[in-house]
Amino acid sequence: MNDQTLIDKAKASLGDKVLDITNPAPRRIFIKLKVDDLLAAVNWLKNEMGFTHLATITGVDLGQAFELIYHFANSFTCVNLRTEIPRDNPLLPSICQLIPGAVLYERELQDMFGIVVQNIPDGRPLVLPDDWPAGNYPLRKDWKYERPPEVIPGGKR
Amino acid sequence: MKFQIPIGPQHPALKEPISLRMTVEGEIIRDADIRLGYNHRGLEKLAEQKTWIQNIYLTERICGICSHSHTTCYVQGVEKLMELEPPKRGLYIRTLVAELERVHSHLLWLGVAGHEAGFDSFFMYTWRDREIVMDILEIITGNRVHYGINTIGGVRRDLDEQQIKHILDSLSVLRQRSEYYKHLGTNEPSFVARLAGVGYLSREDAIALCAVGPTLRASGVPMDVRKDDPYAVYDEVPFEVCTAETGDVLGRTVVRIKELFQCYNIIEYLLKNLPSGPVAVRAPRRAKPNEVVSRYEAPRGENIHYIKSNGTDKPERLKVRAPTLGNYAATIKMLKNGFIADVPLIFAAIDPCICCAERAVSLVDARTGQEKIIVMNDLKRLSRRLSAGNIRKREAEWPL
Repeated sequence: MNDQTLIDKAKASLGDKVLDITNPAPRRIFIKLKVDDLLAAVNWLKNEMGFTHLATITGVDLGQAFELIYHFANSFTCVNLRTEIPRDNPLLPSICQLIPGAVLYERELQDMFGIVVQNIPDGRPLVLPDDWPAGNYPLRKDWKYERPPEVIPGGKR
Repeated sequence: MKFQIPIGPQHPALKEPISLRMTVEGEIIRDADIRLGYNHRGLEKLAEQKTWIQNIYLTERICGICSHSHTTCYVQGVEKLMELEPPKRGLYIRTLVAELERVHSHLLWLGVAGHEAGFDSFFMYTWRDREIVMDILEIITGNRVHYGINTIGGVRRDLDEQQIKHILDSLSVLRQRSEYYKHLGTNEPSFVARLAGVGYLSREDAIALCAVGPTLRASGVPMDVRKDDPYAVYDEVPFEVCTAETGDVLGRTVVRIKELFQCYNIIEYLLKNLPSGPVAVRAPRRAKPNEVVSRYEAPRGENIHYIKSNGTDKPERLKVRAPTLGNYAATIKMLKNGFIADVPLIFAAIDPCICCAERAVSLVDARTGQEKIIVMNDLKRLSRRLSAGNIRKREAEWPL
């Protein structure tokens, strides 16, 4: 099976759920979907096309929206499902029902972008410290780090 | 009665400090929980403020052992963004360093596995031989750990005839010694008995939990980015994907030993077929707005970088997923229903270097809250005592 067969099958099976499909390089396919169709597409990829390996989930801050890219791979190609969620209502369905290995990546998204992943089996913070101030999401573009002024206990002599 | 045992997170020798909380019933682990982020360096945010060239050296410092993996993954992505075609000789040298890095990483891992199993002479032998690879790397690149050989558009240093001869000579020594380790394994029943059946991960679980690298291949899944998605010159180099069917720590050892021999073959092929010509091309300072997914088979497994450019000399987004993160979900599965005494071995088997050294474990009584501190050496002693009286694994055979 090559890239073109997969693109044809995606168009046939997913129909008008596919908003855009590109193949910028050999073994790289980007499929754009609405967030409501994400689970259906992951289910199709996993159960019908045999893409069982989720490499990772990338989040990108586009300004008005967050872009999520799910990188799937198998032995002949790498399929990237792309979806967008609005920044003021960042709700994302969890895909852990289908891909149990996705839980760490989804927890990372919650920490770094403030995305709310619905039905996540384990939604505790993953990478940020326990005393991290609420509402700070480091990978959002408008988040800037300011080093707190250094205070020497007892003052300088 | 159930206890909770926290392991971690702090140790100065660790690349990735992590905290493990295990619920145990007697000696048996019933549940395990992982907490990460103790060494989170905000690298993805930092990369957005550095130029393309500066980011090579930033990604190099993600990891100490697979430093070349991250730069190659990043650099080949950026080359696609800038529409550069690196010269063949540059790609050959890049692949050569990658395979030498795999040899040093696997030899290091074999040593650690021997150490955790109480076979310290094995540890000392493999680490002695690892020095040969480290010397080669130092001769080629000038550095032992952060090689700094990759640049956008090729590599920074060329090879000469004398260096090639030195590498080929050292390689025959390494090959001979590795044969000996293979042989040693066959005649060392206590080593095999300690590894067999520990940290079992079935094929189905390995696939479902998205495990990568030798951990996945030891469960019988022949997945290797070098074969599936060839980058650099892997489409020209003959090699085989090594797998094992046992799915335990023994299988992971077997996969790595087999891969060592494949690495020697690849290195020999690369040196004998090294094309002539330049090693690098000039790279522009900016990249057009685009995006790229770059994959690489690091010694520990699949490494993936997503790079997005916006037309400036800095990336819009750099996402890094190192192989160890992909293996954590599978590690939890491996730890469940195992023994506390097997924790060092199972953890060492995914190669996160979490328990290479002395480290404290505190046992907390869930009902009274009383704590008892034991040091890692006592835990290892416990591990050796447990395996000493172990009869049921004696039948295990070294499968090579």
